[in-house]
Amino acid sequence: MEFPTIFSITEDEIDINDLLAKITLSSTGAAAIFTGMVRGETARGAAHETEYLEYEAYIPMAEAKMKQVADEIREKWPVVEGIAVVQRIGKLYPRTPTVLIACTAAHRDTGVFDAARYGIDRLKEIVPVWKKEVSPNGEYWVEGDYFPNAGE
Amino acid sequence: MNHIKLLLFATLRDRAGTKSIELDIPSESTVQGLKDQISAEYPNLKASMASVLITINREYAFDEAVIPDNAELAMFPPVSGG
Repeated sequence: MEFPTIFSITEDEIDINDLLAKITLSSTGAAAIFTGMVRGETARGAAHETEYLEYEAYIPMAEAKMKQVADEIREKWPVVEGIAVVQRIGKLYPRTPTVLIACTAAHRDTGVFDAARYGIDRLKEIVPVWKKEVSPNGEYWVEGDYFPNAGE
Repeated sequence: MNHIKLLLFATLRDRAGTKSIELDIPSESTVQGLKDQISAEYPNLKASMASVLITINREYAFDEAVIPDNAELAMFPPVSGG
């Protein structure tokens, strides 16, 4: 049986209910959903306000890498049923969801929380998407700090 | 010669002033060779070469990799999605 795997870059608003419905099977009893959103006021590190973020992606490679993240989740947590990995791009304002990682399973003690956490951490390592911070003080592209190794 | 198209993203695109560069590189050029050529032909990008990621046909590639003919290349900073 083929479990549902959703991966996409979208400019549309992330519809959490719709995505959850698509990855919920009749055998599903648990869903772990991570959503990241634009933070308007940052207190950690160099404290600052954000007017908006502008996201861009190398779309065909980003979708391939998002599928890879889903494949890695399946390999590490074979009991995971549905997986959704969605990244929104474009100009996004504070409190707006930008990314969703959701994993479903029959029961919650199957590692499904860990699978979702792995998904977001891994997306942030290898999926070619970048965000530009725009504030009254100016704008700059946020640089990641992960350098992929051979085969990643 | 290998005529390639190099896609640029984020800070690389801003510094180059364009979304893509077309250039001729020697056949069998490596990724390191490409970086050296970019540094020479695009001085604005030279400083970026130390920390840039390069992909060949949508997979991460490393300095020793040989660039195939008609490959799709991209160059960009470490990713910051999510």
